[in-house]
Amino acid sequence: MKKLIEFKNIVKEFDGNIVLKGINLDIYENEFVTLLGPSGCGKTTLLRILGGFLEQDQGSVIFDGEDISSVPAYKRPINTVFQKYALFPHLNVFENVAFGLKIKKTPKDIIESKVNRMIQLVGLDGFQKRDVTLLSGGQQQRVAIARALVNEPDVLLLDEPLGALDLKLRKEMQHELKRIQQEVGITFIFVTHDQEEALTMSDKIVVMKDGNIQQIGTPTEIYNEPVNEYVANFIGESNILDGIMKEDYLVSFDEKDYKCVDFGFKKDEPVDIVIRPEDIEIRERGKGQLNGEVKSVLFKGVHYEVIVETMVGTSKTVTMHVLDDRDVFNQEKKEKMHASDFTMDLDDVSEITDQEIIARANAQAWDAESEEDISIASVEYNIEMKAGKYPVTFKTHNGTLITVHVNVVEPKYVEDKSSNVGITAFDFYKTVDEIKESMAISVDLKTWADAYAWYLDDDEEVAITNVRFDFDPNEIEEGDYKITFSTEGREYKIHTTKEFKEGARVSIAFGPEDIHVMSKMVNM
Amino acid sequence: MKSFRRLVYPYIVWAFIFIVIPMLMIVFYAFTKQGNSVLTVKFTFDNFIRFFQDKIFIDVLLRSLKLAVITTVICIIIGYPCAYFIAKLKPNSQGLMILLITIPMWINMLVRTYAWRGILLETGLSPEIKVYIGMVYNFLPFMILQIYTSLSKMDKSLIAAANDLGCDNRMAFLKVTLPLSVPGIISGITLVFLPAVSSFFIPKLLGGGSYVLVGNLVENYFVTTGDWNFGSAVSLIMTIVILISMYFTRKFDYEKENN
Repeated sequence: MKKLIEFKNIVKEFDGNIVLKGINLDIYENEFVTLLGPSGCGKTTLLRILGGFLEQDQGSVIFDGEDISSVPAYKRPINTVFQKYALFPHLNVFENVAFGLKIKKTPKDIIESKVNRMIQLVGLDGFQKRDVTLLSGGQQQRVAIARALVNEPDVLLLDEPLGALDLKLRKEMQHELKRIQQEVGITFIFVTHDQEEALTMSDKIVVMKDGNIQQIGTPTEIYNEPVNEYVANFIGESNILDGIMKEDYLVSFDEKDYKCVDFGFKKDEPVDIVIRPEDIEIRERGKGQLNGEVKSVLFKGVHYEVIVETMVGTSKTVTMHVLDDRDVFNQEKKEKMHASDFTMDLDDVSEITDQEIIARANAQAWDAESEEDISIASVEYNIEMKAGKYPVTFKTHNGTLITVHVNVVEPKYVEDKSSNVGITAFDFYKTVDEIKESMAISVDLKTWADAYAWYLDDDEEVAITNVRFDFDPNEIEEGDYKITFSTEGREYKIHTTKEFKEGARVSIAFGPEDIHVMSKMVNM
Repeated sequence: MKSFRRLVYPYIVWAFIFIVIPMLMIVFYAFTKQGNSVLTVKFTFDNFIRFFQDKIFIDVLLRSLKLAVITTVICIIIGYPCAYFIAKLKPNSQGLMILLITIPMWINMLVRTYAWRGILLETGLSPEIKVYIGMVYNFLPFMILQIYTSLSKMDKSLIAAANDLGCDNRMAFLKVTLPLSVPGIISGITLVFLPAVSSFFIPKLLGGGSYVLVGNLVENYFVTTGDWNFGSAVSLIMTIVILISMYFTRKFDYEKENN
């Protein structure tokens, strides 16, 4: 195949934002090339530079051996299908398609036959005299393709042309476009953010991110051999893990060594590992590489998506003291008041405010008859900078008061070095009513216990995904209850056609060729 | 929606009293003349015959049409590039330019025309030129605003599409921008031609007594001579001329759209 287009170190800047950071890309004759990336990655800008609607700040565009950087759009042998089609509303279907040929002063009979043939090719025969503004999205799309193709360009540019169509029509047009491309045999450059679209239609996919090309390859190459975490995530679903490349063909992750087919990394280089969900097999317990428990099963139509947890997360168990209601009733003023004991971290004592104490103790006062809230006028306490139990008194303007205790404790963290996670939570006091009134008990329990988890190395917050307890919030009575908070462990997403029960104890298996090792991404 | 229909009643009453009845009265006056003591009004075509038999009146009518046509054409010639230029500016600057064009319209037309009289007084220009200057000045904003509206509504990607299909900028303008702005030009013409053909105080103030138009004629017969019958006939003729010219403009517009 012949090289048709060459982008050489293209740089483009908009108001100080560099949207293309030196793009180098070769495009060959008769290729269906897709520029794939999220919005803002520069794919449309690159297309517009090729179309001649934008000028690059640096670099050159070579077309068929010649630099076309200074050739205006109307002289380039390139046609475009615009994002919103940009059909001329004052012309009908035939006139829209004939527009380019008329400009080139093509003889009338030739225009007639070419345009009609093109309208036939896109499946709009009989629509010649229709008003384009009254066509459906799919039909307008076809007119736009015909209008561009009738000029017999060397390259057709398509700027997210399927974005405005519904799913069914989009699938139809994907096949249609591929068919048209094969029929006319020219280069198509297609811009999209839809990975599935890219995989279905392209001969070559160019994955872009933040003005850089991440990877260029065939759909199978991009899918099976993504160069980094970004590409793996963008194309298809994947399990991405941190690992260390021990030596060629040997990688270590989740504290185990695995054989793999990758090589050429430095010794003990930190790497990302991708394992596609359909490459993992679920077997009987003990017969795979990793044992685990089925966490969830989702039916996806063709297959089930099964989540298997192979390593439990870091957890911390606390005690919840459930007390009887301790409302104080001031007969004289007809005021009711309430507050609970609470526990506080010694580290927090120096920064504590009245507002926070009211919130932590859940102190409230209200009119006994109208139930309207009354503000708490004062908070009295004398908390020292050491562990112990201290009284706190809340008072209203009318003198109604309630005293509770605050337990100041030494901070106690659970640190899990192997998974690099720390977690903390505190014992707390609640009343039966408060628990019964809770709308989302797991969320409230996290708040009440002040549960928090973080990565030990960079202090980033880690989500606490699991709150385990063995009481029924609606039937709770006085007493002490254990609550365990834990972070997510290692989970694998698996696509399988067999159905599994949640909670089943299984094993997962994957071969060396299913493990794909990628270099860590350099932050750009 | 049906209950909202009642809201239109006040307007119907208003229109009937202030538009329909006066119109009918003009028609009535135009076809009658003062009779004797027995029969106070007499049905007649005399007013129309008188108008069309007198060459002076025909000249006045033609002069009015000429003035309106030339004013409209000049407004398009000046207004189109102006509107095109504004529509190409950044959105903020567009707002400012439109404001600048609209500001003079906040001032009473009569006052502005008097100002022009002062400006043009010593210039030695012919009364006709002075009238044209005044007319174009007064009606130009209407033309600019109409064309600007149609241009600014236009999808910018259409120009890119035209470039893509082989049009240089001049061709893209002729093949896409211009045809798509025709509705704006048509409504601009409507807003300029109609008031221009019947205007009377701009020619009166700037042209002096020497430049008589249909508007002045009507004013004369109603205010000075008191011959309401002939005055009504003249304004009726004027109305019919306008209706005919509007019909042709609309027809042109319609055909353009369906071709």
